Amino acid sequence: MIVTLITITNIIITFVIIIFVTDSFLSRLGNQNIMSINKKQLTQLQDYLWELPKETRPDMLVPARVYALEELLDAILNDRSLEQLVNVATLPGIVKASMVMPDVHEGYGFPIGGVAATRYPDGAISPGGIGYDINCGVRLLISDLSYNKIKGRIEELSKEMYRQIPSGMGKGGFIQLSAKKMEEVLRKGAAWAVEEGYGDPLGLEYTESNGCLPEADPSKVSEQAKKRGRDQLGTIGSGNHFVEVGRVEKVFDEAAAEAYGLKPDQVTILIHTGSRGLGHQVATDYLRIMMSAMPKYGIQPPDRELASVPFSSPEGQDYYRAMCAAANFAWCNREVISWECRKAWSNVFGKAGGKLRLLYDVAHNIAKVEEHVVDGEKMKVIVHRKGATRAFGPHFSEFPEAFRHIGQPVLIPGSMGTSSYVLAGTDESMASSFGSTCHGAGRRLSRRGAKKQVDAAQLLRELKKRGIHIQAGSHRGVAEEAPIAYKDVNLVVETVHQAGIAKKVVRLRPLGVVKG
Amino acid sequence: MYTIDYLSHTADIRLQLRADSREELFRAGFEAMNQIIRPDACRKPCPCLINQTIELNSVDNTTLLIDFLSDVLTLAHEHKAVFCELNFQEIGASHLRASIGGRPANGFEEDIKAVTYHEANVHQNAEGQWETFLIFDI
Repeated sequence: MIVTLITITNIIITFVIIIFVTDSFLSRLGNQNIMSINKKQLTQLQDYLWELPKETRPDMLVPARVYALEELLDAILNDRSLEQLVNVATLPGIVKASMVMPDVHEGYGFPIGGVAATRYPDGAISPGGIGYDINCGVRLLISDLSYNKIKGRIEELSKEMYRQIPSGMGKGGFIQLSAKKMEEVLRKGAAWAVEEGYGDPLGLEYTESNGCLPEADPSKVSEQAKKRGRDQLGTIGSGNHFVEVGRVEKVFDEAAAEAYGLKPDQVTILIHTGSRGLGHQVATDYLRIMMSAMPKYGIQPPDRELASVPFSSPEGQDYYRAMCAAANFAWCNREVISWECRKAWSNVFGKAGGKLRLLYDVAHNIAKVEEHVVDGEKMKVIVHRKGATRAFGPHFSEFPEAFRHIGQPVLIPGSMGTSSYVLAGTDESMASSFGSTCHGAGRRLSRRGAKKQVDAAQLLRELKKRGIHIQAGSHRGVAEEAPIAYKDVNLVVETVHQAGIAKKVVRLRPLGVVKG
Repeated sequence: MYTIDYLSHTADIRLQLRADSREELFRAGFEAMNQIIRPDACRKPCPCLINQTIELNSVDNTTLLIDFLSDVLTLAHEHKAVFCELNFQEIGASHLRASIGGRPANGFEEDIKAVTYHEANVHQNAEGQWETFLIFDI
């Protein structure tokens, strides 16, 4: 009788505890931490670096740092970027600081422009720290021609590129991947395109991680994700993705420019896109898995989009291997788009056009296992870059010999109609920002706000007057991506240059833009 | 009855949904998503050539809504279709079964990358109305 009563009491106590824990977990997620950050809370460490101390909120594990010249700070404080940065500082196993680059803006979970490193192997991996567009990134092709040789033919080239490169939402490409070919793409990345005759074998060396993360496991990618990606190789999609013809307008660092093969007035092609629907589905699938798995690891994020699990856990390893596969898909996608660009280039200029060579390809939405010095000690960490670019300094063994002594090329697209930059990675970025820097100009106006303020037809006429031809699928897309919707890319780049987390090499001026 | 209000967000689309019931709130999310990906696609009655069933278990109302909309989005991409019809066979706090019907679409106007969990919090307010914020990654 007594034993039965004790057993019943134990069952009731256990039941009450389960209800309490589950309820507390869900209500915490429901009441996501929304607090307002103001300038007074920021401590200025340098002209370009600000800090929110660890004491800003009790659940922060590290301070939060903001790279920004003062001119950019007001725009940053205008949205919820810094509240989101504080949330990132609670990520289990985070080391040193959560950081944002000067192009930061509000996202969901992580702010866009965010960098966070967690302890390897038991620190968190969070799909929200990578984003839905896994390995969204940029590559730059450089030509043998100078601007004078193609002046007057920009519109013709843009139209031909628009014909060759499928763009816009829901538009498939010319490659239909069988299940077997899809497995190969997910394993091999950019090398698959080269093997199939859609790529330049010399280009692989000029791609971050050589265009392939070997940890990729296609079996960790859902059938739905594979279905979505089946016809999407060689497509740029819509939104802020584009292909841009430009020219080298100004050289800041002659030695670095020479090592990169860049010279004044040279014509270039910048490509910005990612892993398309395949990557979006991988992130969606694993966020759902992590949402259920988190209580098992005692993880209670302040925002559901910061869902995470330990990197070393089965769920963490499955996500990482699927993410690597999606990253490989993105590198393959940009390689095929390069092939389409080369086709368009050749159709317009023939043999006189010469070759389009890859300068470099960088990811700006990714997580990588890297070695960095933290508190004076070299350690392996899981670096999350969401809207941030790797910017490794000189002498990294992965770099081609031609510019190993200079550091990694860092590609920073501006907004449509404004300059883009080629920067070089530095030792300082290795020391202070986990080898990371900014990734673009950074939005400052919402899409709806931009559409209210911009007359797309008038903008197209103005850009034309300035010698910039826009070949776009819709006027709506043009208005959303108007230069007014973005911060001043020159200020963003000036910040990272002054901070030393990348140095200016050349500035590019747009000539023709192809958009979905 | 439901309402959909568009709010400001720097890069993505933030909405506030309000409805008289849980089912209507889910219907509001479904309608909002259609309005974004293909605004005029569901104006005419649907000869629904593509029919699908969604059955889901989630940890709470909020994840159920986001997971449901994510599944609709995935099916829209997979079938290159817009789903205009929605019928719930069952809907509770953590489980639903619904059938959706749609028609093929020749491209979408906007690329919704994902339906995010950010700021979502399905609950009944003091007036008994169901409400939540919803952010689509664009």
